This record gives sequence, C-alpha cells and structure tokens, in this order.
Amino acid sequence: MSSSNKLDPKIPDGPLAQKWDKHRFDSKLVNPANKRKYSVIVVGTGLAGASAAATLAELGYNVSSFCIQDSSRRAHSIAAQGGINAAKNYQNDGDSIQRLFYDTVKGGDYRAREANVYRLAQVSNNIIDQMVAQGVPFAREYGGYLDNRSFGGAQVSRTFYARGQTGQQLLLGAYSGMMKMVAKGKIKEYNRREMLDLVVVNGQARGIITRNLVNGELERHVADAVLLCTGGYGNVFFLSTNAMASNVTAAWRAHKRGAYMANPCFTQIHPTCIPVHGDYQSKLTLMSESLRNDGRVWVPKKKDETRKPNDIPEEDRDYYLERVYPSFGNLAPRDVSSRQAKYRTDEGLGVGPTKLAVYLDFRDAIKRDGLSTIAGKYGNLFEMYERIVGEDPYKTPMMIYPAVHYTMGGLWVDYNLQSTIPGLHVLGEANFSDHGANRLGASALMQGLADGYFVIPYTLGHYFASNKIEKVSTDHEAFAEAETKVKQQSDKLLSLKGSRTVDEFHRDLGHIMWEEVGMARSEQGLKKAISDIRKLKDQFWKDVNVPGNSGNYNFELHKAQRVADFLELGELMALDALERNESCGGHFRTEYQSQDGEAVRDDEKFCHVAAWEWTGEGKSPIRHVEELKYENVKLATRSYK
Amino acid sequence: MSGAVTTFLRSSIGRKQLIAVSGLLLCGFLVAHLAGNVLLLVGSDAFNIYAYKLHQLGPLLYVAEAGLVALFGGHLALAMKLTWENKVARGQKYYVKNRTGRGETIMSATMPYTGLIILVFLVLHIIQFKYGPYYSTEVDGVMMRDLYKTVIEYFASPLNTAWYVVAMFAAAVHTSHGFASSFQSFGWNHPKWMPGVKSIGVIYAIAVGGGFALITILLHVKGA
Amino acid sequence: MSDANMVIYLKVWRQANGAAEGKFVDYKVDTVSPDMSFLEMFDVLNNELVKKGEDPIAFDHDCREGICGMCSMMINGKAHGGQLNTTTCQLHMRKFKSGDSIVVEPWRSRAFPLVKDLAVDRSAFDKIIQAGGYVSASTGNAPDANANLIPKTIADIAMDAAACIGCGACVASCPNGSAMLFMGAKISQLAVLPQGEPESAKRTLNMVKTHDELLFGNCTNHAECVATCPKGISMEHIARMNREYTKATFSYFEPKNAGGAG
Repeated sequence: MSSSNKLDPKIPDGPLAQKWDKHRFDSKLVNPANKRKYSVIVVGTGLAGASAAATLAELGYNVSSFCIQDSSRRAHSIAAQGGINAAKNYQNDGDSIQRLFYDTVKGGDYRAREANVYRLAQVSNNIIDQMVAQGVPFAREYGGYLDNRSFGGAQVSRTFYARGQTGQQLLLGAYSGMMKMVAKGKIKEYNRREMLDLVVVNGQARGIITRNLVNGELERHVADAVLLCTGGYGNVFFLSTNAMASNVTAAWRAHKRGAYMANPCFTQIHPTCIPVHGDYQSKLTLMSESLRNDGRVWVPKKKDETRKPNDIPEEDRDYYLERVYPSFGNLAPRDVSSRQAKYRTDEGLGVGPTKLAVYLDFRDAIKRDGLSTIAGKYGNLFEMYERIVGEDPYKTPMMIYPAVHYTMGGLWVDYNLQSTIPGLHVLGEANFSDHGANRLGASALMQGLADGYFVIPYTLGHYFASNKIEKVSTDHEAFAEAETKVKQQSDKLLSLKGSRTVDEFHRDLGHIMWEEVGMARSEQGLKKAISDIRKLKDQFWKDVNVPGNSGNYNFELHKAQRVADFLELGELMALDALERNESCGGHFRTEYQSQDGEAVRDDEKFCHVAAWEWTGEGKSPIRHVEELKYENVKLATRSYK
Repeated sequence: MSGAVTTFLRSSIGRKQLIAVSGLLLCGFLVAHLAGNVLLLVGSDAFNIYAYKLHQLGPLLYVAEAGLVALFGGHLALAMKLTWENKVARGQKYYVKNRTGRGETIMSATMPYTGLIILVFLVLHIIQFKYGPYYSTEVDGVMMRDLYKTVIEYFASPLNTAWYVVAMFAAAVHTSHGFASSFQSFGWNHPKWMPGVKSIGVIYAIAVGGGFALITILLHVKGA
Repeated sequence: MSDANMVIYLKVWRQANGAAEGKFVDYKVDTVSPDMSFLEMFDVLNNELVKKGEDPIAFDHDCREGICGMCSMMINGKAHGGQLNTTTCQLHMRKFKSGDSIVVEPWRSRAFPLVKDLAVDRSAFDKIIQAGGYVSASTGNAPDANANLIPKTIADIAMDAAACIGCGACVASCPNGSAMLFMGAKISQLAVLPQGEPESAKRTLNMVKTHDELLFGNCTNHAECVATCPKGISMEHIARMNREYTKATFSYFEPKNAGGAG
C-alpha cells in the first residue's frame, strides 16, 4: 500500500458549500474564439457522453463522438427506469442540497469524496431545469407542476420521473441536444465503433484507436483531450442488467495506459430482478425497485416446500425483510435486501424451478387497495413480467432475485474528473467518484448528467487553458504503436481456433465472479477466485474459438476482446475485495459482520479509496490510496432496523 | 409564399392532403350523383328532366365537368405517384409479409386496385352513357334526350348489371378507407371523435356503394 | 416454466454485407426452451455455428429489455413477431410450438441499408432528428423547471409520443416503408409542449423534408405501424404532425434582415 501524489484529488479549499463556486472562479477560461481550435474525443453516448458532447460543442469545441451501437440514442442509460434525484424541495418536505448530499454520502457507506458529492447535490437542480427545457416529459400534477416520488434510502420525495422510462427520456433529451450540434457540424459522429486503445503522447491523452465494427478496420483518432463516458463493467458477471454490449474495454485499456482503477470491487446488486431460468440466459431484467413499496417479500418457512405459493398459508411464510428490519421492512436498501435474499436461498428456502428466487407478493396490496390501483401503479411492470416469465403477477406472486446492476468502482478521477493521465477525463458510471460503496436509487442518472452538463465544461476548459498541448497527428509513432498492439491481439485471438466459444468463457468467468466476488465475499473465496480466473484466462488464450477474420463484421471477435479484458478486470476486482478487509456498502466480507449479519466497516484502516496501478502483463498491480476526509459528515453505522 | 406552396405540393404530407381533399370532394359528388340516380326509380320523365336541366346549365356544366375531371385526374395522378414511390421505398421485397390484423385492412391494402377498378369503370361509364346510344323523347312539349331508355337498355343485361355491382363494391371498399383516412391526413384525428368519423366513413361507403348497386339491380329487374 | 425442449426450424436471411448477394439458409434448433427469448434462441444457434466453424448470424440487439430499440427482426412477416407492444428481445419461445417453421428477415427499407444478415443501418432516423427533433435549449439557458406549467394531460400526450424507441418497426411493417410514425411521434411530442412550441413550424417543415429526401415512403394511413409499434404509439401523433405541417406551410417565414447588431 502506498500513497501517491498522482492521487491528488485537487479538492478546492474553503467551506464545502462554496468549493464549487470558488473552483469555477479559480478555473482558467478558454475564450470563445480559441475554443474552436480545440478538439475533444467523447467515447460513449449515454447520459454522461451525450450531455458532455452536446455541451462542449455548444461552447465551440470540435467534438468527435463514438458509440458502439448503431445510433447514439441506444446507450444503456436508456434502460434506467425509476427516476432522477434533485434537491428541488418542491414537495416542501424538508429536502435541501445538504440533505441530498448527506443521504448520498450515508447511502454510499462513507466511502465517497465529500466535495464531489456536495457538488453533485448542488447541480442536481440545474439538471432538472435543463432537461425540462429540452422537452423531457416528466410526470406532472394536474395543476401542471412537476411530480415527485420517493425512493429507497431517502425520507423525502425528491425523485423526478417519466413513467417507468426516466432514463430513456433523459437520454433522448441529451441525444436530441447532441443531434442539434451534429446538424451544426460541431459534433462528428462515429457509430458502430469500439475504442480499443488510448493513445498517450508526451504523457497526455491525445487519441484513441477504434475498430469500425462493420468493416473491421482499425482507425486512429486524434484530439486535444479524451473523455471516457463508457459506463460500468457489470458484465464481468456475464449475467447482469447491463446491455449486451456494455463492457470495460475502453476503461481497461486506459487503465493499462496509466489510468488508475479505483475501488473495482464496489458493485451493486439490485434486489428485484427477474430470476435466472436457464443456462442459455443472456441477461437479467430489472423490475423497478418501486415494486417494493407495495409488494411483500417472502419465502416458505419449510425447505422443500412443494405447494404452490397461493396454497401456502400465512403461518408457513417468512416475510423475512419485515421480520429482520421492522422499521424499513420491504424498503430496506438494495445491498441489504439483496443479501437477505441470498441468505434465504443459501438456507435452501429459495423458490421456483432453480430454487434461486424469492416471492414478491402483491396479494395483500391488491386486497387493500384494489386491483385497479395496483394496476395503475405497476401495470407496465406486471405486463413485462408476464411477457418474460409467462405468469400473471396479479394472480401468482412474482419471483425475484438479486442481480448485478451497477458498478460504483471505476477509473480514478480527481475533482476535475481527470484521471491519472492528463487530458483523460472520465465521466458517469465509468469513473469511481460519487457513490462510494453503494449507490442510492435515482442517483446514477443524476451523476451522469451532472458530469456531462455542468462539471466537464468548466474543468476541461481549465485543462486546456493551463496546459500546453502540442500539435500531434495520427502519424505519430504512439498511434502506430497502439494500433499495432490492437492488431496483434486480434490476430492472436483469430489464430487460436480453439474448442470453446467466447460466451462459454464469459459464462464461466461470470460464474466465478458471482459465487466468490458477488453478494458475500470471503478471504478464502476471493483467493480461490483469483486462482480460478487465472486458470480460466490461460485457457482462454489457448482454447478460445473466434471464427472468421478481422476484415468484416465479426462480433465474435469484438466479444472476445471484451472478455479478454473482463478476465483481467475480474482478477483485479477479487484482489481489491481481498485487500479491503471490511464490509461496506456493496462490498460484504463475511469475516466482517456483526452478530446479526450486518456489515461492519473499518473506518480506521479503510476510510480510503483504493486506486490500482497497472504495472504490466503478469505483474502485480500496485494499490495506491486516497484518504477520505470527512469534515462535514460524522461517520456512523448505517442502520435500517 | 409560392416557394412554400411548391414545397408543400411536393412533400409527402402535402400531396397526401391533396389526395384527401380531392377524395372527399369526389365523395360529395357521389352523393349528388346518387341523389340524381334515385330519380331513375321515380320514373323516366323525372330522370330525363333532371338530365335535361343539368344540360341547360350550359357553360356552368362545362366548368363543373372540368372540375370533376381535374379532381379525378389529380386524385389519380397523385395516388399513382404515391403508390409507385411506396413500392420503391421498400427496396428488396419481403419473402413473407403478414398483417398483424390490428392495422392494415383489406380495405386499406387494396386502395390502388379498387382505385383502378373505379378508373376503368368511370371510362366505360362515360362511354356507355354520356356517349352512349342517343334516344329522344318529348316531355311536356320539350324535346330532350331519353337517357332513361339508354340506362334501362344497358341494365337489361345481367352481365352489365353484375359489372356495375362489382364496381360499386370497389367504390365502397375504396371510400370506406378513404373517407376516414382523409380526416387523418388533415390531422383531424382526436381520440374522442375519430371512432365516430370511422363509423361515418363505413356508413357512407355502405350507403353510397350500396345505393348505387341497389338502383342498378332494381333497374335490371325493371328492364329485364 | 418447463424444461421440455422444443424444435424450431428457422429460415434466416444471410447476406455478408450490403453489396453481397443474400439468400435464405435453413437451420434446425432442437434445444429451444419455452422460457427463452427469441434472441436467446439465436444465441444458442450462433454458439452451435461457431463450434462448427461457421459464420454466426449477425443481428442487432443490446439492452434485451425492450427499451434500446436495437433489436429488429421480421418474424414470419411481422415486425418483432407481431405480438402486441413487444420487441423481438421480449418475444418468448412459449409463443411458438415445437416443430414450427419461422422465417426471419431483416427490416426492409431503402432508407435502411443492410449491414449484415439481419442487421440494418438505421442512421436515417438520426438524420430525421438532426433536422429538428430537438428543442434548442443550450446548457445553462433553462429557467426553473416549474416556471412553465404543463397540464398533466399534455405531459401525458407528450410522454405517449416520447416513448418511441426508434427501432424502425414502423418502417419495416408499413406497406409503404414510411417513417411517419417515428417522425410524427417526435414532432407531436415537441408540438404539444410549450418548450417545443417556438420552433415547431420550422422543425416540422425541416423534418418532413428530410424524411422525404431519405426515400422513406408516404403514409396512406394503414396504421400497420401502430399495430407493430412496441410502444403502442398512436396515429394521433401522425395526425398532429400533418396539422402542424399544413399550419407551418402557410404561416412560417423567416424575416429578411434577420441577424445581430455588430
């Protein structure tokens, strides 16, 4: 463990509430005429990427935007259902910037940087204003005012929403702003592209190598700064609620070029997903957490229960969340609820054909409020469930199980969202910053948009104004070197023609990760995971079967490159989890729990960010530390009892 | 302004609205025509006087005829262009294409074909009657064309009658989609009254198509 | 939930790229579970193809929960298989019977050139949005979110329209290959909202012009688009667009001498 001056968070001085204002004033500006001379690469078009690309283009920068899908409108932010938080206090229920800040820090189990979180709470209000101005149809009251709902981990109603499609509406809002600037010629779009390496020239991030996924060609792109807005790495678990193409490759390749990876073991497992039902399963679908407002979670009291759920009488049911957490009940936070579900299935009380599920029952809610009220609230979700599972949740209890949903860890960034490589900025889920060890519901959208709309426009200008950026072209040897490296890797993968498919390896990796680096981790398990992943990685590089060649649309090759990186990341996640000898938020070590099974933090030793430095293939990474200082919040034990 | 109008007339929506306008006006014409045809059932004199009076309008009649030709020609030309463009827009055809049953109907799908039947019908119709056998008759001391006789003669043939019934069926199918569709094209679609418009369209189609067909059948019975 | 294996006979369009010749190829998948999604059946088939050293079938897909709009298959002649409000990724094999033959084709539209096999290029949709499917509200301009009151009914209409996922099923299933439902949804969403109103005329004119230039077909009100739209977007939005278009044609003009003072 070592402290490094590379990990200077650059937190501005002064009182918490004034840091961001002061910082904006202290930051250097680029004058409007000069902005035209700078170019920026933005990788990813989710909420962070789209909002950053649009805003930077509006300011006058020349933006190149890259996305892996066929259109930038399809980034996975689109799948967020619940909502977006802001400290508007429209409901007059006691909300404030200070409270949103506090809830987020507490929800993150005191592993986030105070100054970042406070800024996030500050700009949350601007986000709502901006999105409304762009025509996002947020839910309204009859009088025309914006409506709010409440969400897990908060006692105020501060969540703005657009039916169950808030992420979609926000993304399409940001995307439309981007399209406006594409039409004006200030953004050049590169769709169906995958970033495969970062190009660093004279210590500065100056470009990327991409593959045109359609024709397989490798391309070099140069700019004065690079923004990674590439989302999280939940797909390391193979099964997650992430989209199929969500991957860590862009971030991981940047990591290998010198960007530190922070807190990779902090992953969020969402408690209400549709359970796995077969080996062929390709992804997991989340059911909005809001279901827990009315649904009651239970399992049978007896193992090997064979009766149908509706035939099991009240006395043979264990409403375990209500039993263990009488005050929060079914609304206990995500990590807590997920873990309880795991305990039940570990005890052999799981339900459904795979025994890896628990019931979420609306019988009592329907009895209490009537079918039409419940249908009005959750009709869409019930329909979705029925489409996927083939059972009617109005009549039979839903089956749910936790699934990997979000990764709090990511590339380390300072207050300016700059990584340890100058010029490489990381936004949204791809960075590690604001959620600590656990993210609250409706905060991911907030962070992505905060970074893109309201933080990076200031901090990137400061970077340009205060650094000398030499003129570089794509003929520079650093581009050639990076491209060759990518080519060598794909040639190698294509040459193996082994016996197992990429998906088979990925599924094996996911299995290891889920068992040992999932909801409950132990020293023994993590060590086993590291050794298993290494073995799997060796096999992968000997026996993977990637058909075809690199000169066309070869998605098996694309997947193979991603899985190669997941294998390395998985090992680092296990290592990070192993080194963090405490339980906090999404990271639960079985050795560090109270008698009644709650997480026990170690603030003495682990109130810090672990940032990992890549040291080369086959070499041990170095764990650096950024101490977290809590000057405004008192560290306390989270309790939801 | 002229630029805007040209753009409008070239745009898909503008042309569609022109088709809708002309279609609705033609629907109006059909009602007037049907009203005239009812006189065939009243008797030969009533019908012949009606036809005679129409001809007495002189220049006004030519204007009306020119208007009808323009409406019909415009409707037809625009629809043909539309149909052609729509065929091309698909590019490679589907190997299998099925309706869901919730959208496209046999009525909407066959618009070009029913339109074509109506076109053929119209040409024959004008040849058969306007330029058909000429008989004279005297009503109340006035010499006039005995169009009634021409009509009765024509519908004496079961084949001719059957063809007219088929053509009127096509017209009914065509208007049953076209009528409500025009409202949609103008943008007059509202959840409250669009179902009503659709019903009116169907009632119109049945009444007008059925009306014409019924009259021909009755004339056949009378003349045969 | 059943473990019983179904056997499905697939006839799939294979085409190496836009310029190549395409043809149907028959496949038999005999390990289909009723709980599989349609795309998971393709995963299973592809896994077998890779093992046999054959080229797996390319198809677009990403979120697999019916919201990204990426998946796009013409299944037995119906876009997304024709199940009400359902994308291909949400279509499950329990809707089929063991022994069924299923024909799978890509979206067919001249405006959507083929990329490979079942994947097509839908960037024409982006171009329609670029022509005006936005509110020009640069970051930082916005007044307080509650400054403009928007009645719930209006917000709901806007949301109904905004639910579009841009999958292109409307174009694929439209007998005319028209993109009016996609475009109408966006124009309608922004026309009913006060934020979108100032630009409505210009937006409508530009977007319709772009739509026509991109060689999409014309709307003749079949409503087959609505029938296959996974988000159930209604014809009323096309109607509103038509209305806006007429209005814009006869009212919109750009004042001469526009421009700023020095």
